[in-house]
Amino acid sequence: MADEVILMENICKDFKVLNRHEGLKGSIRDLFSRDYKTISAVKDVSLKVGRGEILGYLGPNGAGKSTTIKMMTGVLEPSRGKILVNGRVPYKDRTANSEHIGVVFGQRSQLWWSLPLIESFKLLRDIYLVPEKEYKEMLDLYSSLVDMSPILNKPVRQMSLGQRTLSDILAAFLHNPEIVFLDEPTIGLDVSMKAKIRDLIRGLNKEKNTTVILTTHDMGDVDALCRRIVIIDKGQKIYDNDIDHLKSYFGSYRTLKMKFAGDRWEEVLIDEKKDDVMDIIMKMQKQEKIRDIKLDEISTEEVIKKIYEGESA
Amino acid sequence: MENTKKHKRGLGFYLNIYRKILVQDLKSKMSYRADFIISTIGMVMTNVAGFVTFYILFRNFPQVNGWDYHHMLFLYAFSLIALTPVQCFFDNNWNLRFMVQSGDFIKYCFRPINVFFYFMSEVFDLKGLGQLLFGVGTLIYAWHHIGIPVTFFAIAKLLVFLFTASLFMISIMNIAAATCFWIQGSGYVMVIMFRFKDYTRYPASIFSGIFKIIFTFVIPIAFVAYYPALMVLGSAHTAPLLSKLSPLIGLLFFWLSYKFWMLGVKKYDFTGS
Repeated sequence: MADEVILMENICKDFKVLNRHEGLKGSIRDLFSRDYKTISAVKDVSLKVGRGEILGYLGPNGAGKSTTIKMMTGVLEPSRGKILVNGRVPYKDRTANSEHIGVVFGQRSQLWWSLPLIESFKLLRDIYLVPEKEYKEMLDLYSSLVDMSPILNKPVRQMSLGQRTLSDILAAFLHNPEIVFLDEPTIGLDVSMKAKIRDLIRGLNKEKNTTVILTTHDMGDVDALCRRIVIIDKGQKIYDNDIDHLKSYFGSYRTLKMKFAGDRWEEVLIDEKKDDVMDIIMKMQKQEKIRDIKLDEISTEEVIKKIYEGESA
Repeated sequence: MENTKKHKRGLGFYLNIYRKILVQDLKSKMSYRADFIISTIGMVMTNVAGFVTFYILFRNFPQVNGWDYHHMLFLYAFSLIALTPVQCFFDNNWNLRFMVQSGDFIKYCFRPINVFFYFMSEVFDLKGLGQLLFGVGTLIYAWHHIGIPVTFFAIAKLLVFLFTASLFMISIMNIAAATCFWIQGSGYVMVIMFRFKDYTRYPASIFSGIFKIIFTFVIPIAFVAYYPALMVLGSAHTAPLLSKLSPLIGLLFFWLSYKFWMLGVKKYDFTGS
């Protein structure tokens, strides 16, 4: 990974939170209180991301995902550790850093609410000082990837959530940034819109070799887009590897599904190192007659769920 | 506002961006015609009501602390004009606390332009224009009756001190709005500060003792009309030192308010996602 766009070494972020006391007396005490406790949102995270990668950045709510993203975008300053984005320290020069990144937050549009999309594009072109030729080329590329005719002249406030997300993603790539951060881009979208958005992200990543940092709770996004995933929990990095490797993370797991009388299905998670499938089937058969059997590969979703629930060895 | 490290994004760049946002914004506002008409009517009514109160007051007290009707009218008009920029260009301050609380504010931190500029450029409030027209009309009337000679110098002085006066109200509202980065009840701070603007139309000499000190040095609403207006009304000899220094104080105060606002942005943790 010679060409890395993000480098984080032992990054920590602490927040100082006031210890609040109850009741009126407590509130008055809080006014003058110096009684802070420190919460570590991110603990000792190291990470390298190469050019052109699509990295799935996962973790349960409150794991420290957003805090990390905010440090990469220069909004927050790390408490300790070294961080370089495109060779720059983001918080020291937020403006210079933001010229080379794009950010999309799933449910928060960053476009001008009352302006038609094309006018937002023109403003962004001026703000990022994009040369006219590159701007035209980018719009041509967009047209080849997605049908923009229904949205180009529509004010953002009149758009559906899906159209808005699409617009926000297009706007984030407009100045051809080195890195685009996508925070839950498919949240709340229907199946076909999700597929459309995933195709668009994949297309833009391929054409422009843009690094994409994707945070999501939708494993469909991860399966469709990411080769590598990083999982963070309670502020610590607990997984950083290929998505294929993930499935054997706890050993080989499969799901055994058995059908009983009355169309009732029961599922058992099998750890192939510990459990013997035949033993389990026989045990179940003794209690009740099995009508049908299926053996499924464990889905990414289930592995992630197990990791979040802390069942790791 | 032109405070960026990149010289390629200088004052010209920001003026150009602002102009383009403004043109687009006006276009879209015009398309919501009912909204536009109702808010214009509202603004006219507010100003008429304000003026009627003023007029009735003066029917009963022909003089206030040595100020006659036309001088008072001048001060009234002066304050209306001076309050226009804060209404037109800095109205988004009223939305700041909602955006900070909801976390939406973070979007202003992802663009390679000044955060304060970007935030303020998003809203241009048309209602301020009605107030401006009303103020200009009243000012011309009062100016004529007082009999101030119409010279280039007098007009230039008027513009400089109107600009000065507007800086003070903008700065007060910047500071009031920026308190939301630290405290929950910043809405009250803003409402109270905005109420004070009604006092700007009276000569600060009617306030005595502690209030005079407060309105001059703590919440400087005496600068939102009274001190700068004295420079236009009187000669440089009769105006107090604070009037003469008001442009400098105004620039300094605006700069401080801007720094305070930006400090809030920096201090704010952006917790939650």
